[in-house]
Amino acid sequence: MSSEQLDERAEEEPVQTTGLELGLWKALFTYALAYKRQLFGLGFFAMTTGASEVGFPLVSRALIDEMVALTESGASLPEGSAWLMPYLWTYAGLVVCLSVSVLFFIRFAGFLKANMAADIREAGFCKLQLLEFAYFDKRAIGWLMARMTSDCERLARILAWGALDVLWAVTFLVGITGAMLILSWKLALLVLLAAPLLAWVSRFFQKRMLAASRAIRKINSTITADFNESIMGVLTTKSFVREKDNLASFETKTDEMFESSVRNAVLAAAYLPVILTIGSLTTAAALIFGGYQVVGSAISLGTLVAFLSFTRMLFEPLQQLAHIFSEMQMAQASGERIIEMISAEPAIGDSEFVLAKIASQAKNPVPGMAVDGEPDQLGTIVLKDVDFSYVPDEPVLSGINLTVSPGETIALVGSTGGGKSTLVSLLCRFYEPTGGVISVDGRDLQERSLDWLQSQLGIVLQDPHLFSGSVLENIRYGQLHASDEEVHQAARTVGAEETILRLDGGYGFDVGAGGSLLSAGERQLVSFARAILAEPRILIMDEATSSIDMETELQIQKGLERVLEGRTSFVIAHRLSTIEGADRILVIEGGLIVEEGSHKELMGAQGRYHELHARQGIDEVGAHAEDWT
Amino acid sequence: MVSSDPGCRHLTAAVNVSTPAKNQQLSLLGLTFGHRRLYLAAVGVMAVGISLLFLVPLVTRSMIDGFVAGEQPGTYSFVRPEWLESLADALGLAPGMLTGLFLAGALIVLATASAGFFQYLKGHWAAKASEAIVQGLRNTLHAHLAALPATYFDTAETGDLVQRCTSDVETVRVFLAAQVVEIGRSILLVVCVTPVLFMMSTDLAWVTLALLPFLVIYSLFFFGKLTCYFKEVDEAEARLTTVLQENLTGIRVVRSFGRREFEQEKFTVANHEHRDKTDRLMRLLAWFWGFSDLICMSQGGLVLFFGAWWTLRGEISLGTMVAFTMYSAYVIWPVRQMGRTLVDAGKARVSLGRLGEVLGTPHEDAADQVSDSAPTELSGAISVRDLSFSYDREGPDSARQVLENVSFDLEAGQTLALLGPPGSGKSTLIQLLLRLYDYDGAGGSGSIELDGHELSCFSRDFVREQVAVVLQDPFLYARTIQQNLLFGRPSATEVDVQAATQAAAIHDSIEGFGSGYGTMLGERGVTLSGGQKQRLAIARVLLKESPILVLDDALSAVDHETEGVILKALAKRRGKHTTIIVAHRLSCVTQADLILVFDQGRIVERGNHGELLAHGGAYSRLWEIQNAFSRQIDSHGEGAADAQEVQAKGEDS
Repeated sequence: MSSEQLDERAEEEPVQTTGLELGLWKALFTYALAYKRQLFGLGFFAMTTGASEVGFPLVSRALIDEMVALTESGASLPEGSAWLMPYLWTYAGLVVCLSVSVLFFIRFAGFLKANMAADIREAGFCKLQLLEFAYFDKRAIGWLMARMTSDCERLARILAWGALDVLWAVTFLVGITGAMLILSWKLALLVLLAAPLLAWVSRFFQKRMLAASRAIRKINSTITADFNESIMGVLTTKSFVREKDNLASFETKTDEMFESSVRNAVLAAAYLPVILTIGSLTTAAALIFGGYQVVGSAISLGTLVAFLSFTRMLFEPLQQLAHIFSEMQMAQASGERIIEMISAEPAIGDSEFVLAKIASQAKNPVPGMAVDGEPDQLGTIVLKDVDFSYVPDEPVLSGINLTVSPGETIALVGSTGGGKSTLVSLLCRFYEPTGGVISVDGRDLQERSLDWLQSQLGIVLQDPHLFSGSVLENIRYGQLHASDEEVHQAARTVGAEETILRLDGGYGFDVGAGGSLLSAGERQLVSFARAILAEPRILIMDEATSSIDMETELQIQKGLERVLEGRTSFVIAHRLSTIEGADRILVIEGGLIVEEGSHKELMGAQGRYHELHARQGIDEVGAHAEDWT
Repeated sequence: MVSSDPGCRHLTAAVNVSTPAKNQQLSLLGLTFGHRRLYLAAVGVMAVGISLLFLVPLVTRSMIDGFVAGEQPGTYSFVRPEWLESLADALGLAPGMLTGLFLAGALIVLATASAGFFQYLKGHWAAKASEAIVQGLRNTLHAHLAALPATYFDTAETGDLVQRCTSDVETVRVFLAAQVVEIGRSILLVVCVTPVLFMMSTDLAWVTLALLPFLVIYSLFFFGKLTCYFKEVDEAEARLTTVLQENLTGIRVVRSFGRREFEQEKFTVANHEHRDKTDRLMRLLAWFWGFSDLICMSQGGLVLFFGAWWTLRGEISLGTMVAFTMYSAYVIWPVRQMGRTLVDAGKARVSLGRLGEVLGTPHEDAADQVSDSAPTELSGAISVRDLSFSYDREGPDSARQVLENVSFDLEAGQTLALLGPPGSGKSTLIQLLLRLYDYDGAGGSGSIELDGHELSCFSRDFVREQVAVVLQDPFLYARTIQQNLLFGRPSATEVDVQAATQAAAIHDSIEGFGSGYGTMLGERGVTLSGGQKQRLAIARVLLKESPILVLDDALSAVDHETEGVILKALAKRRGKHTTIIVAHRLSCVTQADLILVFDQGRIVERGNHGELLAHGGAYSRLWEIQNAFSRQIDSHGEGAADAQEVQAKGEDS
């Protein structure tokens, strides 16, 4: 997805457009303070740029006055060009000064922008790596992406170029005003009367133009979504013969786009003429009253010409300031979201206590111990009165008590939404229980290093995520230093090798973004191999084989028997055939463990498991025959 | 939107007429067809506006020359140059200094304001023309995509296509709306200002234009060079986005393998690469702007000092010199932008080429040989004879056959089940039946008949109206649940809808959402689980009430209990539709009238459940695997009797 598209999405967020929140900009500005030298350079050259620009009309003024004086003196005209030289050199000096200043301020602003964008993004990324899953549950990937890409760029741009523009505009304004006041304060006051009007008109238009372009981007994003839908859903559209209706609804969007775009263009087309006309009023005023004063010899002709230049230059900094102000207002929402993200406190992480232990272990490593100075082993897992809810008052798990011995294989069965996956997520500390305690070898999980715990896990999900790259690289993600042979071995263990070798390029096959070039079953096989390669102490399989055909699954199970040996594992499955070999089966319904025992015991108990089993078994045999015939 | 229609029609026509042509070229000039008058009008008013703006320095010149001439005290004639005086006379104003000054002032304001008005008109008209063209382009693209054959989307990448329809269209839009105007303005400025300059002073005119060619060449050269820098930044950004996207979508994997540091490193590399590339670009840009400022200001200096020199020698007046400095500024700054504009405009050609590729792809031929004798209603009998198919259009021999000599007959109302490993041709068969692919072209042979009529004698739309299909990966539109359901049959009543959702065991789930049937789906609404999607898609096709119903692995993500409910509901409708079920689980297929087991495009086993079990092939082996545990039920007594009974029944039939 291109950042433009993401940016468009960001535009959909509601924003406030009143006033500037200085606190927010101050917080963001701390990112600029990391580059004090460049910031200083930027300010310096912004000011020299403004100052040298003010200088040009002054040189012209002096030159014209000299010329008039020379003509008036009536003496014979100077032969050489010596009289011209001082002005020429001053002018040349100004040109060099301006060019160098421009070169350097762009250099510094560019540097600041690039670095601040990278820094803000880095801070955001670091935080995202620490934030708990609940944070991700509440936010769409696209939303986060927009924060991390376009928002970062935009804020850095506004900070760097905004600082530049403000400094330049202020210097320029002060310079012009000062020069005019010195040259002729009466005329200056007359000209400056227009400044507030220019500023107000600029604000008026800039605000509307930014809002209009926002509206356009919003429509644009629906148009993009429509194109996306028409491509992704092409088979469905064809099978329902929906082409004409879809086009009709698309055309209403492009109609809307046309109108908004033209409206925006009309605003933009009106803006400059209005500004120029107001500017021409000041020029006319300067000409009339200045002319009068020239005649009365109150000011020189050169001064009048300089004033005519100044009146034309006046609107540029004002326009720039109005623009920056509106941009900052519009970007405030982005700024808030980013700051909020970066300053979010991870709800799950190592406590002070654990951090202290990690630090002391790092300083004086006790051999054979884990990073947090505790034994590097995962033995008995105990869940005591564990409750959990994603949303308060809607319990997903309640009062779970469970003791898992090392090496045991635990199967979790039950209806969808019963809490099986949640239970496993708690073990991984993807979420923290809202009540009760989970402990390992008598130690509360929260007293162990989170990284350490999670690096002990091997997880295979129903819809596994693969990274773009080859199959080999994807499996190797489980163990970054594994040799090719070890990777192949892992693939063989889970019975994936045959499937992999059938791919074009075998292990070198590029799986595409998110593994999109593989079928669901193939993705599961690869993710299985990846999990096995990691040699996890705890293996978790959440519907890991649902998309794999039966024969392959059988193969996997054979390989697994060896893998599972000596490992604690949790298996969630709909297909009950998968889990009969489990040491213990938990039937979870409505957030409670309703039955517990081995396959044999549970079958004998004739309870819920038996019921599930019978239904599935009978279904497979075709017991609803009477309905069909 | 009257204004937009001509362009749209033109585009559509152009594309349709030349459909067989392989690489249809969209030309920039061709795009403007139907809007040229508006464009020309915009150019016209722009010229008027620019000419008016040129009056301002002329007025200033008169005033200054007047001041200089009138420096002798007592006579104030200088404020009344002849033309101004006659104008004042004509207007009946009293001659006098203030009159002259006021007139000059008024003239400046008037010239600027009316120039502004024309500039505004230009902006408005140019926007109208360009936006209308782009709207036409968008609509054409949308219609075109929908009309492309399904094969096109097998090879095309969604992201790339969307990119073309959005970014490339935007590039063309910017070109038409801004760059064309900008280039036109620069050319007009130079063309209009040159005669005025030469009229005032030939020598100084040459000086004023002296550095322009260098500036154009310099900026063209520079931006040509910058293009690859821009491209590198874009590429770095794309890589950064990919790293981010993958990290965020795979955050669970990252965490569960404890790969934070690895990911952090990967990110930092991409982040820094992007930063450095941006910085490098900015460094080059800094040189460009700094140096071009040097050229522009030097140009101004040349005019000023040559002007001063010649003024003092009496060759030109002081007013002329001041006017020249003003004109010089008018011309030089827009010309400085030209390089950038021209280089950007070059991108529009590339974008148009990419759009042309999409629009040049031939449509699905609408109704090639629709025969009049074809029935308008079908009972749903299907007969397939010696059907072979290969996706490769080069020829049946060179490519892997996806289907090979497939034949079967299905009476109206019967149920057919298709089994087999992935890639064995089941889905292809269904896509052929929907006329999403053509078996009668290159790569295919044999026949499919509906009610005894060859499939190709029906129009594609008609066939698709007769077949209700739930695809393997059902697609739901980003609209409300109700709207999605009504795609099946727009006229369906609330009762019909509920009956369908209940049959698909999704009614309760829908009611559970905040807004019930009005709940939005997709990014801005709820995200459905795989099973919910499949069930909703089933409800949608049940509403369609067509003679043929196809479920292409449509229950894979549905749990067993729910599957049972749906199968029961389907069983109640038995006989209403000819039904084709593709499945992995045998529970879905045992009751079919005909089961076909596919392997590598061929039917390796056929028969009903009982026959296939008796045959002892792949089907019975699968049956063994799935059944392995149900025998254990025997030992627990209950259920076994049922199973045996059913099995016996199956064998009987």
